[in-house]
Parts: sequence; C-alpha cells; structure tokens
Amino acid sequence: MEVVIASSPVDAGIGCWDLHSGAEQLRYRSCTSTPHGLACVGQRFLVSSQLRDSSSSSGTILYWSWNKPQVEVKSFPAEPIHPLISNSDGTYIIGGGSSGAIYFWEVASGRLLKRWHAHYRAATCLFLSDDESLLVSGAEDGCIRVWSLFMVFDDIGMEMAKHPYEYSFSEHTLRVTDVVSGYGGCNAIIVSASEDRTCKVWSLSRGKLLRSIDFPSIIDAVALDPGEHVFYAGARDGKIYIAALNAESTPSNIYGKHIIGSLSDNSKGVTCLAFSMDGILLVSGSEDGTIRVWDAKTRNIVRIFRLAKGPINNVLVVRRPLYSNFQTSANSHASLSRRHVPLLPPPLSKYVNSTDEIVDSGAITVPQTPSSDIMDAPYLSSHVLTKQISELQQQSSAATGMEVDRLKLDCKRSLEMVQKWKEMFADLHKFCVDELLGNDQTQTQ
Amino acid sequence: MARSKPSSSKKQPKRGVDFKKIKRKIGRKLPPPKNATNTEIKSKAIILPEQSVASERAGLAVSKKGLTLKELLQQTSHHNAKVRRDALTGIRDLVLKYPAELTLHKLAIIEKLRERISDEDKVVRETLYQLLKLVIFPALKKDVPGSLISLMMAYIFNGMTHLATDIRLMAFKFFDLVVQHYPSSFFMYAEKVLQNYEDILRKNHIYLQDRSKLKNALVGLVRCLSLLPCNRRTVDPSYGKNTETQGSLHAYELEVPKEHTDFSSIIKRLEDILPILVNCFQDFIPLVHPMSSLDAQSFDCMLYLLRSIDLSVKFFLYGIDKHQTDFGVTKPTYNEKDMPVWGEIATPVFLRKFLEVFPLNQLHNTSGKDEDKFFILNIEITEIFLHSNEWIFTSAILMERFLEFIENLLSGKIRFNSRSGKALQEKHLTSLLPFIPRLVSLVANTWKSRLLQAFTMAFKDCKPESTLNLAFLSAIEEMLLPSKRQGILLLDASEPEILDHQITWIRELPVLLVRLGDTLSSLSKVILHLLLRLGQYAPMNSSLAWEYDIMQHTLGEFYSMCLDDGSILYGPFMKLPKDCQELSVCCLYYFSSLDSLLLRSLVYCCLCDNLEPSVLFRIIDVLHSAYKIGHLQLVDLISFFVTLVARWKVLPGRLYTHVENAKKISNRETFKAITGAVCSCLRQMGDDALIFQIVQRVILDEIPLNPPIDNLCGMLRLLVILDSRPTKLSEQSIIILSNSISEYLIDAASYIPENGDEVTDSNQISICQYYLVPCFFLFDRSDKLLNLVLDLMGSSIGEDNSSLACNHDTQHTLDLSSRIVAVVSILLYMHQDIKIRRRLSSCKGEITRILQKMRLQLMQSSNEMGNTLEERHKIQFSFDRLKIAAGQLNCWDADELKIISLFE
Repeated sequence: MEVVIASSPVDAGIGCWDLHSGAEQLRYRSCTSTPHGLACVGQRFLVSSQLRDSSSSSGTILYWSWNKPQVEVKSFPAEPIHPLISNSDGTYIIGGGSSGAIYFWEVASGRLLKRWHAHYRAATCLFLSDDESLLVSGAEDGCIRVWSLFMVFDDIGMEMAKHPYEYSFSEHTLRVTDVVSGYGGCNAIIVSASEDRTCKVWSLSRGKLLRSIDFPSIIDAVALDPGEHVFYAGARDGKIYIAALNAESTPSNIYGKHIIGSLSDNSKGVTCLAFSMDGILLVSGSEDGTIRVWDAKTRNIVRIFRLAKGPINNVLVVRRPLYSNFQTSANSHASLSRRHVPLLPPPLSKYVNSTDEIVDSGAITVPQTPSSDIMDAPYLSSHVLTKQISELQQQSSAATGMEVDRLKLDCKRSLEMVQKWKEMFADLHKFCVDELLGNDQTQTQ
Repeated sequence: MARSKPSSSKKQPKRGVDFKKIKRKIGRKLPPPKNATNTEIKSKAIILPEQSVASERAGLAVSKKGLTLKELLQQTSHHNAKVRRDALTGIRDLVLKYPAELTLHKLAIIEKLRERISDEDKVVRETLYQLLKLVIFPALKKDVPGSLISLMMAYIFNGMTHLATDIRLMAFKFFDLVVQHYPSSFFMYAEKVLQNYEDILRKNHIYLQDRSKLKNALVGLVRCLSLLPCNRRTVDPSYGKNTETQGSLHAYELEVPKEHTDFSSIIKRLEDILPILVNCFQDFIPLVHPMSSLDAQSFDCMLYLLRSIDLSVKFFLYGIDKHQTDFGVTKPTYNEKDMPVWGEIATPVFLRKFLEVFPLNQLHNTSGKDEDKFFILNIEITEIFLHSNEWIFTSAILMERFLEFIENLLSGKIRFNSRSGKALQEKHLTSLLPFIPRLVSLVANTWKSRLLQAFTMAFKDCKPESTLNLAFLSAIEEMLLPSKRQGILLLDASEPEILDHQITWIRELPVLLVRLGDTLSSLSKVILHLLLRLGQYAPMNSSLAWEYDIMQHTLGEFYSMCLDDGSILYGPFMKLPKDCQELSVCCLYYFSSLDSLLLRSLVYCCLCDNLEPSVLFRIIDVLHSAYKIGHLQLVDLISFFVTLVARWKVLPGRLYTHVENAKKISNRETFKAITGAVCSCLRQMGDDALIFQIVQRVILDEIPLNPPIDNLCGMLRLLVILDSRPTKLSEQSIIILSNSISEYLIDAASYIPENGDEVTDSNQISICQYYLVPCFFLFDRSDKLLNLVLDLMGSSIGEDNSSLACNHDTQHTLDLSSRIVAVVSILLYMHQDIKIRRRLSSCKGEITRILQKMRLQLMQSSNEMGNTLEERHKIQFSFDRLKIAAGQLNCWDADELKIISLFE
C-alpha cells in the first residue's frame, strides 16, 4: 500500500493517507518534526527528529511503529538533529546535527557508528544517491558536500586524502534548503536549492556546477522528475516551478531562463515535495497545512489532504507493508499477529562507543523482515566467511601446489592435442593438394 | 576450362563477314578522312606601339618605384645588398598600399622572404625583421596556415645553426617574432628550439661582448618559457566567474585535450638548459662586484636569465604538482616512466649553489638607479627561491637572509629611489605576496610573527585604490579561512598572536570597503566575497565569529549613515552594481545577532528611491531567513517591516495618466509587491496573535504621523492579514484607527468611479478596491470601528473646512461640497458590498445624522453667497442618492424618512 505521510513543526502528529484511495490511516501522535526530519526506516517504522526549544542541549529522535499511534522509542542524541534519512533497507539512520556534524547510526543495535564534522554550520538536508554509496549534505552556510560512505569509514584513507569529502560546492551564498540526486550513482546530477533564490545543478562525476537557475522566489523543496527531463521546485510564493534539465528553453519565459512552467493553487509557500513510486503523482506540502497531490503530466490537482492548521514541513511517499493493516482491521487476530511484529530496535546511542563490542559482530546486521517467519533467527554470515577465509589461507600452500600440478598436466595434454591437430591438418592439406593436382594431371593427359 | 577451348576456336571463322579487312602498307601516309576538320589558323601580327612602362601597369599594384610584386620578389635575391634592401622596402610600401595583394600572394611572398632570414647583410635582415613585424604578421593574424609557419621555421633553424653569430642571434629574434604572433608554434618546435638555445648559451663567453644580441635571444627564451604551463598563483580570485551556460546537461561532450603536447621532451631539454642558464648568470656575477656601476645591457641580460630560470623552475613544479593531483588517474600524456624525470633529482644541487649568491650587493655606495637594479635582481632571485622552496632543503642561514629581505620588502625598509619605483615596487610585491601564507605557515615562530607583523603593516598602509589590495586580500583569505582544496586551516587561530593579526585584518576590511566607495567595484566584490566566506566558515563561537559579529558596527556606514542634522548620507552600497549589493545582503545572514543600528541604516537604504526593487526583496528575504535561524530579534524585524511599509515613498500619480507617468504607476505596483512580501513573511512567523500585538503597537506609533494614503493602506493590510474575526484590536487602537480611517476613506473616495459612468477604467476599479478592501475587512470584524468612522465622517461634513485645513495638507482639505460628495460615494460603495450592507443596517443612527447634516448644509448654502449654484446642485444630487440607498437599507421606518423629507 502506497501511503503519503506528512508531519508538521507544530504538534499535529504524523498524518498518513493512502495515496490512491485517499483514505486516512492512523495518525501518529506528538510529533514536531524538523524540516527534512521525517523518514521511514525500511518500511518498518517511522522515525522523526524533533524540534525542541534551544535551551536543551540534546536532541530528540522518536520512533513510531506502523500500528500504534504512540511514540514507542525515544532516543536523545548529543545535539539537536535536523535532517534525518535512512537507507532503503533500513539498516542505517543518518542525521545532521546543529553543529554541522553528521551522525551515522546502525538501526538494529542503535550504535552510533560514526560521527564526523561535516560542515561549519548546521546541516539542513541530507540525501543518499540511488546506489547509496554517496551522501550529499547541505548546510546553513550554503555549502554542499558530497561524501563517499566508503571513505568515511576508511580511517587510513581519510588521513591519506587531502580532504575527507569528495566534493565541496560553495557557490550558494545562503542556506541550502534542499538537495536531491538523480539516477546513476556517481555519475548522477544533483540539484540543490538555496535561500539565495537559485537552484543549481551539479555533476557528481565532474564535480562542477552545470547550471544555475534563478527563481522569482525562494525555493524550499526540489523534486526530480523520474525521467530527469525537468525538476519541480516548490517556492515560498506558493507555486511549484518546473525547470528544464535537458534542453535550452526559449528565452521568452515569463519566469526566467530554464523555467518552463508552474503548478499553482494560490496556496501559501510550498515546503516539501515528493514523487509517488510510479513517478506520475507529485505530492506537495504547504505552509497552510494542506497536502496536495498533483498529476505531474496534466498539472492538475488530484487530491487534497489536510493535516493541521500549521505548516507542513515533511512529506514522504512510502510503501507500507500490509500486515499492519490486517492487525488493525481484525482485532481478533491481534494476539496471534503480535508475535509476528518484532519489537522496535533499541534507541540510538549518544556517543560513539569505543568499547570492543564492535569486534564481536563485525558485519552488517541485517534487519529482520517482519513478515517472513523464515528470517526468525539472525544469522551472521561474516563469521562463516572469515572462517572460510582463514581456512583458505592455511590450506593455500598445499592447495595451490596441487592446483599447479594439475594445471601443468592440463597444459601438457593440451599441447599434445594441439600437436595432434596440427598433424591432422597437415595430412589433410597434403591430401587435398594431391587430389587436386592429380586431377589436373589426369586432365592434361 | 580445358575442354571449352577447342569449341571457341571452331566458331571464330564464322564471324567477321560484316567488315571487310583493309590491308595497308607500312610507312605510307594515309589520306585524310573525309570528315576531318580543318584546324589551321591563319593570323597576322597586330603591333600596338607602347607608350610607356607605367601605362602597361595601370591595373597592377606597384610600389612607389613602379615595380610590381613579382619584380620586387625577384629582386630580393639580387646579389647586391642594396637592391635587396630596396626590394624589401618596396614590398612594404606595396603591401601597405594594397593589402589585398598580401592575402592573395602570401605564400609566394613568404616563400621568397624567408630566404632572406640568413642574409649576410645586417641591414637587409633588419629590414626584413621590421617588414615581418610591422606589416606582414599583423595583417595575416587572422588566417595562419600552419604551412606558412613551417615554411619560415625551416629557414629560421637554418639561421640558428649558421656560422656567423650575428645571423644566429638574429634567427632567434625571428623565432621570437613568430612565437609572439603564433604562440602555439613554440610547442611544435620546442625541442629543437630549446636545443639551439642551449647551444648558444653554452658558448656565451663568445657573446659576452655583444650583450644586446644576447639580450634579444634571451627575450625570446623568456617568451617561450612563459608559454609553458605552470601553477598559476593568480592574484585574482576565481569566484565571480560565471559558469558557461550549457545547452543540455546530459549531452555527450566532445572532449578535446587542451594540453596536446608531450612535455617529456621539453622537460629533458629544460633540464639541460637550466644549469647552463645558472652558469651563464654566474658568469655575470664577477662583472657586478668589482664594477661600480652596472650597465643597462648586462643588467637586462641578468634579469632575463633570472626570469628564464624562474619560469623553468615553475614548470618543473607544475609537473610535480600535476603528478600529485593526477595520481592514480591515467593520463595519456604522462606515463609512469616520465614522472620521476620532472627535475626532482638533478636540479636542486646547482640551484642551491646559485641561490647562495643572494643577496647581490654592491661594495660601493652608488647612485640610486643602480640600487634599484640590484633590488630588482634580488626580488627575482627571491621569487625563484620561493618557487623552489617546496623541494629544496635550504640551509638556515640562507633562509634567514631571504626572510629578512622579504620582511624588509614588506615593511618598506627597502624602497625604490627612482620615480617609477613606486609602481615597480607594487608590481614586484604583487608577485611575492601569494607566497606569504605558505611561508608563514612553514617558518619558525619568531619569523612567523615578524613576517605577519610586516604583512599587517603593509596591508594597513596600502592605499585603497592600489592594485596590491587584490594580492593582499587573496593572501588574507588563505590565512583566515580553510583553503578550498585542502579543507584545513593554514594558520592556527588558537595562538593569540596570529589571532591578533587576523582580527586586525578583519577590522580593516569594512573600513577598506567604505573607503573604496564605488570606485573599484571589482575590488569591493572581492572584499564582500571574503566577508561572506568568513561568515560562512568561521567556526561557531570562535573569536573569529565574534569578530565577524562586531564588524556590523562598522559595516553600517557601508549602507547609510544618519547625520546629526537628520539628513541621510548613503554609503557605497547604493552605488555598487547589483551583484555586489546581493553579496553584501547575503553577508547579513551570517551575523549571529543583527544589530538594530545596522537595521536602521539598512532601512534608510531600502527607503531610498534609487534602490532596485529586486535588491529590496532580497533584503526582506534574507532578514526573514536570518530571523528563522534566530539571528534577528522578532521585534526588530517587525519594526523593520512596518517602517518599510509606512515610510516607503509611493510617488503620487493619478491613475488616468499618460505615458510619462508610467513609472509612477509601476512604483505603486512595487509598493504592493513589498506589502505582499512583508505580509507573507509575517504570516510565516508563527504565532499570529503575538505578532499581531507587536505589529499593532508599532503601527499605532506610525499612524499619528499621517502617512500618505498608500502607506496607510499598506499598514491596514498588515493588520487585516494578522487579525481574525472578531477583531483583536484593543479599544484604544480602534479609536486611533477610526480617526485616520475616516480621513483615509474620504481620500480614497476620489478613486471611486462615478456611478452611472458608462466607461469605467478597470484599472481604476482595481485601485479603488485595493484601497477600500482592507477597511471593509476591519469594519466587518468590528462594528465599533464602523460606528466611530461614520460618526467622524458625519461630523466632518458639519465642520467648517478651515479647521480641517490647519492639520492636514492641501490634499486633504477638500472644500465642503466635494467632501460631502466623497462621503456619499463612500457610503454608496459600501452599500454595494453585501457584507458591509448588513453591517451598515446596524448603524442607521449615524447615517441619519449624516443625512441631517447634509440637509442642513443644503439649507445653509442656499442662504450663503459663497456657494455657487453648481455646488448646491451637486450636494442635492448626492443627498438624493444617499436617501434612496438609505431607503433600500430599510434601516429606518417610514416616519423617520418623512421627517427628513419634511425638513426639505
């Protein structure tokens, strides 16, 4: 079931609607999310970083499971976390702190795997490239940095490299409001929006600015068309501008160069945008508390959801597993299905643990897929793998010797074969020539 | 195949019957065929008597001496030198006169002229040089076929290996000329040319006598070497560079390798040449010391030698750098094998020896001019030293000597004596300044502070319009901020002494900005960029960030200043180009708490007519963003907004105006847009009720100042947007508001289209609505306000207009009759609006009073002399209209109506 989830900075909870039927689902209570601070972890549960008064030094991150409106797990990281994302499997949660640091948690254990100083000012948005190897982060100082997640965990490599990031783009003069990346992993383009009224398109492969587009208003949200022909930019003046990515547009546009049109509903400022899975429906959240679903092709509004009076600052389109629906619909089975639903993972830890428990489970802890019973027992393939490797290393000398012998034998045999074939060929050739010549001779005779 | 042969031979005799075979005897001449054409031509000679040589050449291009190009070219190879020379000058005349000749016959001309490159006669060569330099190359600049160059080059190389030294040196001069015009030609022949240079320099002792020739050759070498790629430590920062607009982002791009040449051969040659250059230079040194003065020729030679050394060292460094940055990336031009050859091993040994000679000093005190020469040479050596610094392990003593020299240079202890010295010194300082940051970060602590001291002093002393400033700024940026490439800080800001210097620089920046004014906008832009970077990158809560915050006190002057007598002095901000303005506005965002004084000077700028609206909107945007991240107090921002709306000058311009007033109309549109922007900002701030309270307070302070109608309208809009129904306005504010609203409505009434007019301008209607709608909203939300306003309007009709005139300007003092008309039209307009009609019906008392007052006036005016008949008629007409409307309202019963009509 494809659902739209939306949250607001004022306490209106997290709204959840079926995108295609429009039916409202459960509303998750007590959430005051930060911009870009709502994520769905591997379709299993919702997570959101919370706005809190600046007096308290620590931040708050809350978990909700799909089938309960109450907050289930609370964690308190060392500083307020603004943007929050998770990878598609839901193994990790990445958050950007108000000091400019980026936090990297493992979901299953709640361990803080890494914390590194990424920006000089608070991070405002994060984005994972589609192959999840590159992390793009934007900050209040207008800086956009691209991180390779391999490099981030490679301590030796970090020391060797001149700078920890892959690229640092500092052409934006004001706060970066949103960043998205296209398809193609490290060859993709990224589109960033900033409060300096521009959107900029960057190339990840070349690490340079490709295009800068001036908009009539500040852009707060950006969504890339799945075909990457255009991108949609939600502006503070309530319009969603459509900017061309491929061809040179005609200069006679009313809005400016490269902007080919707009979606407009006379609403207040657009704060967030998301595309549905099929890439046709565009979901926009607005300052006036409504969520509009647009058909991007016909540019018409398909649906309007209403969350609260206050503004909306996060909209996501996620696939929600159906099992939780069963549970809510059929209470009689509740006791039965409760066994299926795993408890949510432990809260995220505050500091990087230097204790040696890391050695114990050296590999990725794969999240349990709740719907399948087979996956009940967690298995750690890394142990098996390391064992095999060590075995191989031990055996290697004897094994390779045997292997070499065998190969030599093979080679010899092949050479003999070649010789044989050569002889055969020579015979055949001779025979043919003789035959032809003999024939000729008989003719002349 | 074998079988088919016999069958074909059998068939042959059967054919050939159709043609009869003719047998002919060998050797006999055949008779001509019957159809042959007679090709004989018979003619007689026609002889025209020639008049003169000149007449025949009437159509041809000739030189002054009447010779054609062909003849001239032939004469260039004449055995007599004088004739050759004359022919060259002739060609020159001809080409100057007929430029087309050159383009037509360029190949032929070059082909012939090149032979003269190695002419024995000196004068001929010189003439040829002048001819090529002044006439032929400039004319051919556009189309240079490579073949032309290669034609020349063959002979130039020939000249370079000529036995006569004169010709040899001249050939270098010719090559220099070619390179000068077609720089790419150097790379084509680099190896060979460098080889020749090497040969000639090796035998330098032969030419020591003839220094001017050697100098010429060296000039060429410097030019060639300067074409080599090197690490460009450009003074000019690269920001502000516009990205080229790309048609499509995903399109395939043709990648043309920019550096096409294979440098490995050049490297080898240069490695050979460098020691020779050094030797050559050292040959000159004995000349320097004993002699009391240095003649110009040998000074030039030394200078060029140093330049060449410098350039080749730079090139080697470039190679090493390239090697490091491209590590792991396969580049076709450099293969792994070449890499270690980049001069790493061989060069430093003799370079160190060479650097030992520093500083060049005289034994005797001589004239100032000579000192300058030594000074220049010393600077050149220092530059080489600084370039090579990275890969030579220098002895401490030598290092000291250099550092001392640099310090002296910065602090101005060494000065040029001659008049042009100032400019020269600046030029040389510009070349040295980019090294300062690296040097400072590497040297020992004592030197660090001494260098920084000198640097800071020099920066402070630098005049604002000096070109040095750019170099200073880029050095400061490098030392203040984490570098772009490495992402690490060059200097440790935790050391108090370094921090002191950094703070001094930061404080100097806004001062410099103000002093610059709008004279050098490019420099202002660089400064603003530096400020912006500082705001972005200064670590939070560090002393640098703190210093950045303090800077806003001085920066206020950049925007505007309020003088003691109340007049406003606009700062450079107003006059700078738009991109600078935007940059400076962006700087505001990064102050961790914006000062209200700075806001005030900003608001003066915003209120100025000259400010472009787009910049104004940017300011609103940025301030709002700054508020969002808590860099700005809510009260400050609101008072900024309200002041902007209340004081912004809308040029009075009536709507039914012509082309000349088009600007004024657009001005009003701008104001509308400003109000809109402010409204949307206010709405996004959060708690409406709280903001409404603050806005109300600020607006009520402004209203008694009697703002113009547009501004009042803007303020009412702000209130309406934030207010809710029923109104949140306090009693007191309703009273204050009602006063100004009644006047406001009477003013606005003039925009109400005349009822019954057949053509009403749609523009005018929208203007009228624009003015009245906010009032209607207020009335709708508060009955009390409506009552009060109607009351006031009624009393204003009754009043004598003289009493009104004293507290209103002329625009407000309408004479009584038009006042009455205005009130009536307002009431009628309100009556048209359904919502307000409902409200009106609740205050019938006020309307009755107005009607009574009007009737009273009618009666009075009939008695008075002053009122004309026309006015009386006007009042009567409006009275009737209002009466009808009042009747429609059903707000009173028939009795009352009768009473009113009775009075009539």
